[in-house]
Parts: sequence; C-alpha cells; structure tokens
Amino acid sequence: MSLQEFWDYLVLGVMLGSLYAVIAIGYTLVYGVLQLLNFAHSEVFMLGAYGSLIVLQFVSPADNPSALASIGYVALAMAGSALFGGVTAYGLEKVAYRPLRRRGAPRLIFLITAIGASFFLYNLAGKLFGRDPMTLPEMYDNHNVLTIFGAGVNVTQLLQFATAVVMMICLDLLVNRTKLGKGIRAVAQDAEVASLMGVDIDRVISRTFVIGGVMGGVAGFLFANLNQASYTMGFIPGITAFAAAVVGGIGNIRGAMAGGILIGIVETMTVPLLGDQWRSVSAMVVLILVLMFRPMGILGERVGRAA
Amino acid sequence: MSVVESSKDTGKGTGENIASAASRLRRTAWYQQPRFTRLWAMVALGVLLALVTGEQGTTRDIFFSVKGSLTGLNLWICLAVTIGIWALREFAAEPIKSSVAAVKSTVSGPAGTVQDRLRADARLRWGLIVGGLVLALWLPSTLARTWQTVLVDQIAIFALLAIGLNVVIGWAGLLDLGFFAFFAVGAYSTAYWTGRLPVEPPVVLNNFWVIPIAVVTCLITGVLLGAPTLRLRGDYLAIVTLGFHEIIYLVAKNADGLTGGPQGARLIPDFSFSFGGIEYEWSIDPLPYWYLLVFFIVLVIVLFSRLEHSRVGRAWTAIREDEIAAAANGVDTVKFKLMAFAIGASTSGVAGVIFTSKYGYINPEVFPLLQSILILAYVIFGGMGSIPGVLMGAALLVWLPEALKDYVDPADRYMYLGALLVIMMIYRPQGIWPSRRRQRELTMAGEGVGDADAMSEPAGGKA
Amino acid sequence: MLNKTIVKLAIPLAVGALALTGCGGGSGSDGDTLKIAFQGPLSGDNVALGENMQNGVKLAIDQANAKGELDVKLEYVAGDDQGLPDKATAAAQKLIDDPGIVAVVGPAFSGATNTASPLYAESGLVTVSPSATNPTLTDPKNKFTSLLRGVPNDNQQGAAMATYFAKKLNAKKVYLLDDKTDYGAGLAGVAEEGLKAAGIEVVKKSVPQKTPDYSATAKDVVNSKADALIYAGYYQDAAPLAKKLKEAGYKGAAISGDGVNDAKFIELSGDASENWLLTCPCTDATVEAGTKAFSADYQKAFNRAPGTYSAEAYDITNMIIEQIKTMKGDVQREALRDALAKASYKGLTKTFSFDENGEFKGTDVYLYQVKGGKIAYQGNVNELVG
Repeated sequence: MSLQEFWDYLVLGVMLGSLYAVIAIGYTLVYGVLQLLNFAHSEVFMLGAYGSLIVLQFVSPADNPSALASIGYVALAMAGSALFGGVTAYGLEKVAYRPLRRRGAPRLIFLITAIGASFFLYNLAGKLFGRDPMTLPEMYDNHNVLTIFGAGVNVTQLLQFATAVVMMICLDLLVNRTKLGKGIRAVAQDAEVASLMGVDIDRVISRTFVIGGVMGGVAGFLFANLNQASYTMGFIPGITAFAAAVVGGIGNIRGAMAGGILIGIVETMTVPLLGDQWRSVSAMVVLILVLMFRPMGILGERVGRAA
Repeated sequence: MSVVESSKDTGKGTGENIASAASRLRRTAWYQQPRFTRLWAMVALGVLLALVTGEQGTTRDIFFSVKGSLTGLNLWICLAVTIGIWALREFAAEPIKSSVAAVKSTVSGPAGTVQDRLRADARLRWGLIVGGLVLALWLPSTLARTWQTVLVDQIAIFALLAIGLNVVIGWAGLLDLGFFAFFAVGAYSTAYWTGRLPVEPPVVLNNFWVIPIAVVTCLITGVLLGAPTLRLRGDYLAIVTLGFHEIIYLVAKNADGLTGGPQGARLIPDFSFSFGGIEYEWSIDPLPYWYLLVFFIVLVIVLFSRLEHSRVGRAWTAIREDEIAAAANGVDTVKFKLMAFAIGASTSGVAGVIFTSKYGYINPEVFPLLQSILILAYVIFGGMGSIPGVLMGAALLVWLPEALKDYVDPADRYMYLGALLVIMMIYRPQGIWPSRRRQRELTMAGEGVGDADAMSEPAGGKA
Repeated sequence: MLNKTIVKLAIPLAVGALALTGCGGGSGSDGDTLKIAFQGPLSGDNVALGENMQNGVKLAIDQANAKGELDVKLEYVAGDDQGLPDKATAAAQKLIDDPGIVAVVGPAFSGATNTASPLYAESGLVTVSPSATNPTLTDPKNKFTSLLRGVPNDNQQGAAMATYFAKKLNAKKVYLLDDKTDYGAGLAGVAEEGLKAAGIEVVKKSVPQKTPDYSATAKDVVNSKADALIYAGYYQDAAPLAKKLKEAGYKGAAISGDGVNDAKFIELSGDASENWLLTCPCTDATVEAGTKAFSADYQKAFNRAPGTYSAEAYDITNMIIEQIKTMKGDVQREALRDALAKASYKGLTKTFSFDENGEFKGTDVYLYQVKGGKIAYQGNVNELVG
C-alpha cells in the first residue's frame, strides 16, 4: 500500500467512523443514565432512516436541484429522521423500560426487554414498509468537494463528518452547560440521591432517550444516504457502534466519538489489507484487546460525569 | 443551540412568576388525570395493534400498509378492544378483582397443599420426576412426525443449551452473550473429526468419540476466552462474549480453506455404535435421537443439580448475589466464575455435536449472533436459575414460532415473539417457573436491598 | 397501560388455545383439492427473495384454478424455513405430513436443501428448487432422490462470465468479488477457475452482504487497476456497490449473474448501474408476450413487480400443474416425482428438463446489459464470443 493509498483509506475510515460515532453516542447516553445496554437502539436507527424516506417521499426532490434546494432537502430529511428516531426512543422508554424501572428490576431484565423490543420493531418495520431495500432519492450531486492531501471527500462523506462534529459539540454543551445536562449527570452519578435533590428522574431519563433517539435517527438517515435503507439495516451498524462506544469508554460522549472513529478506521483499513469479509472481525478483535488492556475504554468510562 | 437557550430562560424567573407557576403546577387539567392518560395510552396501543395486524406493506408504496391499516374496519375493531379493556379496568375493576381473587383462593388452596406435600415428601417428588421422565419418553411417539421433528431438532437441542446457559447466567450470574459460539465450536469439531472439512483430521472418529473431544475443546476455548475477560465487570463480559461469537461466526464463514466457508460441511455421518455384536445406527427417524437427547439432558441435569447443592453451587450463589462480599469471605471468585463459564461452554459443545450429527450438514448461517441472544431470552423467559423453568422457557419459545406458522403471516412471527418477550418482562420478570431463591432476590432488588445478578446496580439506580 | 390482571389471564388462555388447535390440526386430503407447497425463507433476513418465489407459485396456482382446466382445485401451502438449514427440517416435515401436498417448489436455499432433502427423499415428495444453485446438491452420494433442480447450477454462469471476459473483452486483470453466500461463493469459485484457465490475472476478494460501507471496496477495485469486475451476489448488495464504484471513478466492465438480473437493481442504484453486464440462464425476459403478460398479472396480483426467481418459481409451478393434468385425477407423490423427472417443459424463462441426478439440463447462458435504465437483451454468450 502506497502512502497515498493509506491516506485515502484513512480518510474514508474517518468518514465512516464519524457515522458510527453518532450511533455510538446514543448507546453511551442511555448507558450513562441507566447503565443499560439498549439493544433496541439499532431499531431507532433503522426507523430514523424510514423517517427520512417518508419525508423525501412527500417532498420528492427535483432532478439536478440547486445548491440551496439540496440543503433544504437534506435538512428536511434529517428533521424527519430525527423526529422518527426521537419518537421511537421516547415510546420505547415509556412503554418498555419505565415499568421495569419503577420496579427496580435487575438490568438483565432490561436487556431481554430491549431484545424483545428490537425484534418487535424491526419486524413491524418490515411489515409496514416492505422487505426490500430502498434508496433515498438523490438530493444533491455527489461530487468531490474538497481534497485532504490528495484524498477526495465527497458531499456524502462531508455531510457525515460535519453532522457528527456538530452533534457532538451540541451534546457536549447540552450536558455541561444546561440544567437538563446537570440533571443527566446527576442521574448518572446516583439516581437515588438525584431524586432526593429534586431532580425529576423520569423526565431526565425520558429526555435522555429522546436525545439519543434523535441522534440515532439522524445516523439512520446518514446511513441510508451512504448505503440504503431496509428493515434489517440496524443490526450490523448497531453492533459495531456498540463496540465503538465500549472501546471509547461507555458512558463517555467524547469516548464514543473517539471509539467510533477508531473502529471506522480499523474496519476500512482491513479492506485493502485482509479483505472486506474480515471487517467485523478486526473491529471485534480491537474491542477485545482494548478491554483487556484498558478495561474502561480508551478515554475511560465516565458514568456519572457523562460528558 | 436552541435547547441550551430555552433552558437558560426558564432558569431566570422572577419571584411572582414562580408563585403563579407553582399554582399552575398544582392544578391538573382533566386530560392530565391518570385515568385519561391511561386512555390515551390505550388508544395509542389500539393504533399500534391495528398496524401490527394490518396488511403487508410494499416498497413500491411506502404508505400502502399504513393507509390500509388506519382507514379500514380493522382499526375500529382494535380501538374498540383496547378502549373496552380500558373501560373495564376503570369502571369495573372491583368486580373483576374480587372474582380473580376468588378464583385464586379456590385454586391456591389445593395447589398450595399439593405444593406443601411435594416439598415435605421426598418419595412423592421422586415419583413425580420418574413419572415425568416416563411421560417424556412415551409421549413423543404419539405426536405427528412434524412435531417430533420440531421436538428433536429444535426444542431438545435448545433445552440442552438452556441448561448449560443456566449454569453460567442463572447460577453464577455471568452475562454471556456468546454462548452459541461454543455450539459452533462443537459443530465444527464434529465435522472435522468425521473428516468432512477441507482439512484432514489425523484419525476419523465415530461421533460418540467426538463428544469428549468437543467437551475438551470447548472447555479449553472457554478457559482461554474466560481467563482474561472474567475479571471484567458484568456488562463488559457481555460485550466481550458477544465479540467472541461474532469472531467465531465470521471465521466459520470466511476461512474457506479451514471450515468450508459459506458452503459449509455436508455428508456428516449419524451416530452409530457397534459394541459386542450389537450394531445400531441412528437415522433420519427423529425418535431415536429423542431418546439420545433425553439421555444427555437427564445426564447434565443430574450432574448440574449435584453441583448446585455442593460447595461450588454455594460459591456461585455468593458471587451472583454479592461478588465483593463473596471475595471478602475467601471465595476464589475468578476460579468459580471460570468454572461456570467452562461448564456452560462444554454443554453447548455437546449440543453442537448432537445437532451436527442429526442434521448431517452445517453452514455458518446456523450460528448467527442472533442465536446467542435468543437462547439468553429463553433462559430468562423460563425463569433463570431453575432447571424446570429454563426447560419450559426453551420449549415454549422454540415451539411458539413453529405453531404461529399456521395462524399468522410467517414473516410476522418474530414480531409477536418480541412483543411477548416485552410483555412478559414487564408483568412477570422472574419468568414462568423461577427458582425460589431467585424470586426472593428479585423481590429484594425491587425493595432496594441486594443485587439480583452479578452486574452491579440495577438500572436507573434503586429509585 | 395494559391491565395487568387481564394480561395475566389472557396470555395463558391464548397460548392454551394455540396449543389445542396446534395439536388437533392435520388436515386430510380432500378428493377434489391438491396442494402445491413452497419451501423457502418467508421470515428472517431473506424474506424479500422468498416472497418473490412465493408470489410466483401463488400466481401460477391462481391462474390454473381460474382457467378451470383441472378437475381438481389447487391450493397453496407456505413452508417457511427462514432460509436456514436448522429450520428446514421442521418446515419440510410439516409439508410431508400434509397428505394433500403432492409437490413442493423449493427449498429456496442450498443450505436448507441440504438438511431438508433427506426427509423429502424418504417420503417420496418431489421438490423442484427454483434457486438452490450449489453444484454439490445433485451429487449422487447425497441420495437426494426427490430433488430436482429447476435452475442451472453455478458452474454454467460462472464459466460463461469467464469466457465472455476472456474472449470478448480480452481482459487482462479481473477483480472477482463474491458476497460470502453459498450462491456467491460457488459462482465466484467457478469463474475464478475459468479465468485462470484462460490465463487472466485474478484478484479474488469477498464483500459480505450488508457491508455498511462499500466505498473502501470500491476504492480497492480502482486501486487494483483491474479492467473488469465480476460481482457474484444479489441485487440488494450489488446496487450500493455499483453506486460506490461510480463514485470512486471505476471505468472498467462489470458483470454479474442472475441474482442481480432484476429491475430492482436499476431502481436501487439509479444511473450507476448503466452498462453493467448481467448473465442469466433465462431467455429474454422482457420481449416475449408471455413474459409481458406474466409481469402484468404479477403486478396486478401483488402490487409490485416480479423479482429475482419469481418467473422461475412460476414456471416450475406450471410445470408441476401440467404433469398433474396428465395424471388425470390420480395423483400420487412418487408417480408425480417420476413423471417430473422425465418431463420437459418450456416455460417463460427456459426449457426445464432434468438428468438422472435431478440436475438441470441445458447449458445456455444469455447476456444482458443495463442500457438507459433498462435491462437489454444481448444474446447467447456462446454465440456472442463466437
């Protein structure tokens, strides 16, 4: 592999990784407040993709749209996916998790509920929207917009990266600067004490789910834009992003970003070196190695300081 | 970011604002009464039910199914059902409750005495177990061949797996999301030692000899995986085992020269023995395999129940309920955890050997990650920690999709299974037939005392 | 929230009811209905493919019933095996236990065929698979005596791709991608042999189904400086790959098999699919009047266009129905099996006949190319290469 090729793949990996990062943040946020492995997050992600599809069905983008129109389409699609993702996550928390929380059920029960909810949601999506894959209509001309040391970056990739960065900055501000963020951190540290101090735990957890859901939904849109949408699309990126969240340090938002990008790079680098079929294997090997030598993830688990 | 600003705004309220806000807070509008929030929930449930039972959608027209479900008669029926339930609950709760209580008391009276008698009289209990065993041996021969096949090919295999996983998760409290990977190890060991993989074995063995080899292979794999990872906390163990399963699955799929890749291994022989002039070969008929499987299931049940009530079993309970306290009291936690992990793994391996011999063919698609997740759901559903519980959980959840084939669109079966899992966990988290100890742990966890698994605190704190 | 007590009561009741009906079932065969079943993935990850075939079978049965040429009524039975070997035995046994079923279209996947076929062989119930292409299935050592393969195995298409690249395009270096399915791996294996025999340099790689990002693979294709590409897989994955190849600036030829030869490939990949070559053992599927009528009827009945293997399943069902016709009311499983094994039937896609192992007879592979958003017929590969 020449240096230029290496660089090309590195850039590709970062772009893919930023997509994983957005999904990973959803896992990490929920883990932060509930210490729950939210298996159903991959379905939130999948439904987000369908949200953008539905919105675009209404708008039906024209051929060769102007730059302004393109931005409008993308914004609308993103809003649709965010809405679907947020609503799904909200419903999930309300219906499936809250009753368990009230009872102080052990986390294993949450896990099985999450698995059940995931089964239900993806099969429901297959029933409602059909079981063939679908692609998003073309919203913009996907050309290379900039070159980083010779590696071209096209609109789709730039969109992924920019969204990830913007979302992470917003989330960081939200968690560190706002009242809700304070609530999230308080609940993550000690839910019992937080509730004694007047934090409405139910509301904080519910909103955390919505934030995670919005991110997951938008990630679903980005993924459909990169690849395509189908009712089973959630599983593989979900598991990968989950691994990314753990690699970065679960509960840690910056960690999710770092883990996502690391996994993205590792996966992409595997393709020229070993072949695409070993992509997930190398991601999992990285996961196991990181956990063995740094059991709390690269940036450290920061439950309680979920920022 | 608008969220940031808006929440800042709410932060700077003046004194009078606070007072009026407080009085506003005290008032609840009619629609905020619990009764009506419940009504909205039921309406939402009705709509969801209409979607679930509606028509199959198509990618040609993304709104086809939604439109169909939300305009037709179906919606009104679903709404009527859910709102009816709501009305019953709101306005006729008392009579229902009292009649349920009456039924309960009449049933629980004799049931309770039967239970007490069973507990008190060991002979009676043994009689029941022997009776159950005889029934298990005889009953399948009366079933239709379809259900015999389901029983042997799926239920019995999964029952064996569930008993193994029960040791890991029900007794030692370790969350293992890669349990099925050992099944794959067992399966590929069989294919290898019977000479059906691209790589030649040193000697070709009879399937019965493969069993001890598979047990040892899985023990070694289990220890190799467990030794470095069992020091990790509960969640991390889950993730590592999940990663391990994914790796095993992908190696099976990608290492064409070693495993046959996606085309798998075929023509794997059945079990057979020739001993002292008696020769027998298991064949396509499900019943002989059923007897073989019952033998193995009974064997592991006997072995494991001896373990449960030994020092090892008590150490597992201690680890599950409070790992730190157990370690402080001199229990070598890593050793016992490793032991549980390896025992579970080898049971899974045995199941893999039997499966492979019965089917005569394997390919990587038999071992997806989903299987590990499903088997976990079976164990929890049945009631982890209790052997009859996990047997029932596996039997019921494996049987259900097969039975549902006749009643719903096959593609929707797993949707119903998922819904059932969620409902079950909400209303009966301890499973169908929980062990007594486990039930007590759950109640205690509900009250905020102690843990119910080796996974540190319950979710969302103990609020 | 749901009323707890009601749910507590309702679930065991529902389960009990299911159990009762489930055990009490077992429908006997009526004198005047015959059943034709389909076994394939009707749930799980490969439903889309299963539904394509199921609809083909259903359509053929409905049309036969509507025509009324038979003195019996035909009925459709679904046998869902999820496309998985471990679920196939129960699905197969269920069909075997239904005495009304005289023939099965399927099993759809090679893995499922491997585990289900011994049961079918024992019962004498004939299975004609529209899509199981693994060459080893018709190995006489298997003793799959009830299996007929209604589709040419991977060997023919793989070889045709290799010859076309070697003789027509004079390719120097071919990038060979498979999708890590049974079908893809088999096809790629055969193509690789053919290319190597012709002295062409081959880069063989795999890109599994549902890879999240095909950009890296596309880049690898471009970097390898190969002048031609073979993709052995299905249209669901070929579509995003085609898109990424176009984005990466790949200019060489690209060819794929019947798994991609589907209008949905173009639908999903847009203009990125332009100039892709597609092989198929089926004759021109867009011109003939019969095919057009099939397409229209299918669209009308199922509100979607026919997909991969729909037409094959339709053909095979019609072939079975034709044999049932000749048997005039007295339809026995073994007799039907033997009749089908000897029969020859000209369907929409190709002429069906089988050799003594149940292998599909006939080696013709046809070439298509995506042009202007349509799959255009090019001709017989053997004739094209001269």
